[in-house]
Amino acid sequence: MSRNPVHVNLAMQCIANIGSKDMAEAFGQEIPRLLVSADAIDVVKQSAALCLLRLFRTSPEVIPSGEWTSRIIHLLNDQHMGVVTAAVSLIEALVRHSSEEYRGCVSLAVSRLSRIVTSSYQDLQDYTYYFVPAPWLSVKLLRLLQNYPPPDDPGVRGRLNECLETILNKAQEPPKSKKVQHSNAKNAVLMEAISLIIHSDSEPQLLVRACNQLGQFLTHRETNLRYLALESMCLLATSEFSHEAVKKHQETVINALKTERDVSVRQRAVDLLYAMCDRTNAETIVQEMLNYLESADYSIREEMVLKVAILAEKYAMDYTWYVDVILNLIRIAGDYVSEEVWYRVIQIVVNREDVQGYAAKTVFEALQAPACHENMVKVGGYILGEFGNLIAGDARSAPAVQFKLLHSKYHLCSAPTRALLLSTYVKYINLFPEIKSQIQDVLHSDNNLRSADAELQQRASEYLSLSVHATTDVLATVLEEMPPFPERESSILAILKKKSGRIPDISKTPRAANPHASERPQGLGTSDTPTLLSTAGAAVQAPAAAAPTNTGLLVDVLGDLGGGGTSTAAAPPATNGAHPASPAGGDYGAAAAAVHDQQAAVKKFICKNNGVLFENDILQIGIKSEYRLNLGRVGIFFGNKTPMALTGFSTSVTLPDGLTNRLTVQAKPVDDNIDGGAQVQQTVNFELIEEYVGMPDLSVSFMYSGVQQKLHLKLPVTPNKFIEPTEMNSEAFFARWKNLSGPAQEAQKIFKAKLPMDASLGGRLAGFGMQLLEGVDPNPENFVCAGILHGRGVQVGSLLRLEPNKQAQMYRLTIRSSKEKTSQVLCDLLVDQF
Amino acid sequence: MIKAVLVFNNHGKPRLTKFYHYYNEEMQQKIIKETFQLVSKREDNVCNFLEGGTLIGGSDYKLIYRHYATLYFVFCVDSSESELGILDLIQVLVETLDKCFENVCELDLVFHVNKVHYILNEIVMGGMVLETSMTEIITRTEEQNRLEKQEGGFAAAPARAVSVVKNINITQQIKDIKLPDLPAAIKDLKF
Repeated sequence: MSRNPVHVNLAMQCIANIGSKDMAEAFGQEIPRLLVSADAIDVVKQSAALCLLRLFRTSPEVIPSGEWTSRIIHLLNDQHMGVVTAAVSLIEALVRHSSEEYRGCVSLAVSRLSRIVTSSYQDLQDYTYYFVPAPWLSVKLLRLLQNYPPPDDPGVRGRLNECLETILNKAQEPPKSKKVQHSNAKNAVLMEAISLIIHSDSEPQLLVRACNQLGQFLTHRETNLRYLALESMCLLATSEFSHEAVKKHQETVINALKTERDVSVRQRAVDLLYAMCDRTNAETIVQEMLNYLESADYSIREEMVLKVAILAEKYAMDYTWYVDVILNLIRIAGDYVSEEVWYRVIQIVVNREDVQGYAAKTVFEALQAPACHENMVKVGGYILGEFGNLIAGDARSAPAVQFKLLHSKYHLCSAPTRALLLSTYVKYINLFPEIKSQIQDVLHSDNNLRSADAELQQRASEYLSLSVHATTDVLATVLEEMPPFPERESSILAILKKKSGRIPDISKTPRAANPHASERPQGLGTSDTPTLLSTAGAAVQAPAAAAPTNTGLLVDVLGDLGGGGTSTAAAPPATNGAHPASPAGGDYGAAAAAVHDQQAAVKKFICKNNGVLFENDILQIGIKSEYRLNLGRVGIFFGNKTPMALTGFSTSVTLPDGLTNRLTVQAKPVDDNIDGGAQVQQTVNFELIEEYVGMPDLSVSFMYSGVQQKLHLKLPVTPNKFIEPTEMNSEAFFARWKNLSGPAQEAQKIFKAKLPMDASLGGRLAGFGMQLLEGVDPNPENFVCAGILHGRGVQVGSLLRLEPNKQAQMYRLTIRSSKEKTSQVLCDLLVDQF
Repeated sequence: MIKAVLVFNNHGKPRLTKFYHYYNEEMQQKIIKETFQLVSKREDNVCNFLEGGTLIGGSDYKLIYRHYATLYFVFCVDSSESELGILDLIQVLVETLDKCFENVCELDLVFHVNKVHYILNEIVMGGMVLETSMTEIITRTEEQNRLEKQEGGFAAAPARAVSVVKNINITQQIKDIKLPDLPAAIKDLKF
C-alpha cells in the first residue's frame, strides 16, 4: 500500500466507482482498517468511510462487527468535520441495516449537533458556508436521528430539544447575508429540524412552532421554500397535535392551488389539501379541488380525481352530496375517472336505499346533456336499470322517456358500454312491462343480434329469448334488484396507495385528539352500517371480484367491463378461424421493419416455449407457453414500455388459410387499456387437430399518443409443441425405426450447420419436444429422439435421428413417423434450428 | 443518495454525466434526454425541485437543478437527501469549478472533462457527499495536479507503456503456448 495519501485516495475513488463484488472481496479487509487506524490522515479516513459504504451496498458482509461497531460510531467525535460528514453517511446506512447495534450513535450525534448549532460561524472556518456553520453535517445528523424514536435518556432528550429550539430561534434572526446561499443553507437545516420534530411527534410545543414556521414559508417569496413548506406540512397534518394548526392555513393553500405558477408546487398543494381534509372542511376542500380540476394540468388529473372521490366518500355526511360530487367529476374530467371510481359510486348507491331515488333523478338529468362522457352513460345505465322505477312516476321521466334517452347514447358507445346498456334494457323489461315490445325490437335489431362483437350478440340473443319465453315470475326473480355489495376497503383508496407511497394515509386519521373522530358513525346515518371505508386490510380487490353470484344476470356486468370476468352462461363462441385473416390495412410505418425481424425471431421459438416475441420502443410482447397432449395454453404478456397508457388495446389471434381445420384457437379477452409501465396478460388456448404448416397470426392494435398502431405477428405455435416425449431403449427404437420404412413415412434433409456444433445441440433438440435418447445410437456423435404427436383423436409416433459431420459442418436429419405428412412437417420445422 | 449528476447545455448536449447507479449506455442516453425535456421546459424562477422522470425511478426520486447561463446542473437524488442541501452542493460544485478554471464556462467542461471529473470525485463518492469545504476540495485537486506533473502527466503515459512492453520477451512466450490435442473423435467420424 502506498504511503502517499493522494495515491491511496485515488485508489479508493476507483474502488468506489466500480464497487463490484470482487472489489468488496479484495478490499474488505483493508478499507475498514484505514478508516479507524490512528496514523491515517483525515483525507484518507474520509474517503475510506464512503468507499466502505459503497462496498457495503454491494455486499453487506464487508462490515466487520463486534468492537468495530463502537470504533465506527466514535468517528462522530472526530476532529475533522469532513471525516464526520462522511462517517455520518456510512453510519446512517449501517443503522438502516441493523439499527439496534448502532443505537449508541444517538447520543454522540446529539452532542455533535449541539456543538455545531451553538458555535458561531467563525468557529468552523472552512466548514462555514455563507455564515452558516456546517450546514451539510447538521442536515446529515438530523437525518440520522430520524432513524430512531426520541431518545429515552432525559439528558440527551433535553439536549436535542434545546438544539431544535435553537435552530427554530435562529430562523427568526435577521439574515447575516442577503445572498440566497445564506438563506438556503439556513433553511436546509431548519427544514430538516422540522422533519425531525414531525418524526418524533412527541413535543406538542415544538410541533406548533414548526407549524407556524412552515406557515410563514407558505407565503415566502422563494418558490423553493413554498414547495418544501407544503411538503412538510403534509406530514404535519397527520400528527394529532398539529392537525388543527395546519387547518389554519387552508385559505393559503387553496390560494396556492389557484395562483402558483409551478406545477410541482401545485401538486404539493393538492397533496396537502388532501392530507388536511376532515369532516369540518371536506365540503370546501372538495369544492375547491373540483373547481381546480377544470383547469388542472393533465399530468395530475387522474390522481386528483381519485383524491376527490376518496374525500367525498370518506367525509360524506349526506350521500346526495357524494353522488353530486362524483357525477361532477365525471362531467369535468370523464377521461380521468377510472373504473374503480364509478364502480364505487354504484356500490354505494346500491347499498344505500336513501340515496337511490336521488341518484336516479340526478343521473337522468345529467344524461340529458347533449354530449356526455361514456363513463356517465355507464353509471347512468346501471343506476337507471336498477332504480329507474323510483323516478318513473314523474311524467318527464316516464319509462319510455328513460329508455329513449339511454338508447340515444347507445350508438355512440363502445362495446362494453353497450353490453351494460343491453343489461339495463332487459332490467327495464322487468321494471316496466309496458315498454317490453320496444326493447324487444332493439334486442332483435341486426345491430345487436348479428353484432360482430360476440359478447353483444350473445347478450342480445339471451336477453331476447329470456324476455320471450320466461314468465313474469321468472323474470322478476332473475332480474331482481342487485343485492347490496359486501363492504370492504374502498378500491379507490387501494389504487391511490399503489400510485404514490408518500401520500400520508388518511384512512388512519381517527385520532384521540381529533374532536371530530367521535362523530363519524353519526354522519353515516344508522349506526349499524359499517363505515364505508373500512380500514382493515390493504388487499387490492377488483370491485366485481366478490360480487355475489346467487342471483341476477347483471351480476357479471361489472366483471365483464373489468375485462377479467367471464359471462354467466356459456363462454363466448370461440373465435376458431371465423375471422378471416385481417386485411393488411393501417399504418405500418416503423412497425414494418420490426415485424420483419420478428419473422426471424419467431423461428427461435420452435425449440423453446418462453421468451420475448417482439419488442419495439412502445411495446414488449413476451410468450410463456405450456402444452399437454393435444392442448396448449399460451400466455401472451404485453408490456407497455412508455410512461403513457396505451388505449383501445385489442388483440386477435386468427388462423391463416389451411390451418383452420387443423388447429382450434380460443383467446381470452384482454384489458383495453395498458397503463404506463404496466403489463397485461392474455391467455390463448389451442387444440391440435392434426399437423399443419405455418403459425397462427397475432394482430395487435392500440392507440399510442393519439396514433393508431397495428402489429401483425406470428404466434409461435407449431405442431412439434404437441409432441409428448417417450422413453425407449435401443432395441425398441430400432425395431420401430425399421417398421416405419415406407418411403413416404420418412423425411430426410442434409444441410449445412449455421451454429457451432457443440454441446448445446442436445439442449436445442430436447427443446423440440421429443425425448432425447442417450446411449441408443451406436455412434455417440449421433442424436436420436422419440415422441408422440397428439392431435384430436390421433396420435402419431415419431422418431428422429440427427447425424452431425463435424469436418464438413453438415447435418443429416431423418424423421420417420407413422403418419406420412407428419415427418415432412417436423423435418421442415427443425431444419432451420441448427 | 445521489443517483446521478448530469450537466447539459441549453440544447440538451451532455457536458458531464456521472451515474452512481448502473445503467447501460443506451439507458443513460435516454435518461439524459428525458431529464433535459423535464427541466428545460420549466420557466426561470419556478422552484428548483421536481419529481424524477419515469426512467430514473419516478416520484421516489427528485431532480434538483440549477440553471447557470448556458448550463443546467441536475442532481437526481432519493428521498434521503435534503433538497436545499443538494441545491447548495450544486453551488459548491460550480464555485469550485469557477476557482479551478478561473471564470468557468461551457468550453472548460468540454476541453477539461477529466479535470471536472476529478473535482466531482472529490465532492461526491459512490453517491454520497464526501467533502463540502471548497478550500479542502481545491487543495486536493491541486495535490493531484502536482503529482500528475511530477510523473510526466497524461502525455507521458504512452511512452511508459511502450517501455514496459519492450521488457517482455514476447517471442519466447509464443513458443511456450501449447495447443491442445485435437480430439481423436473427429477422425472416427463417418458419414
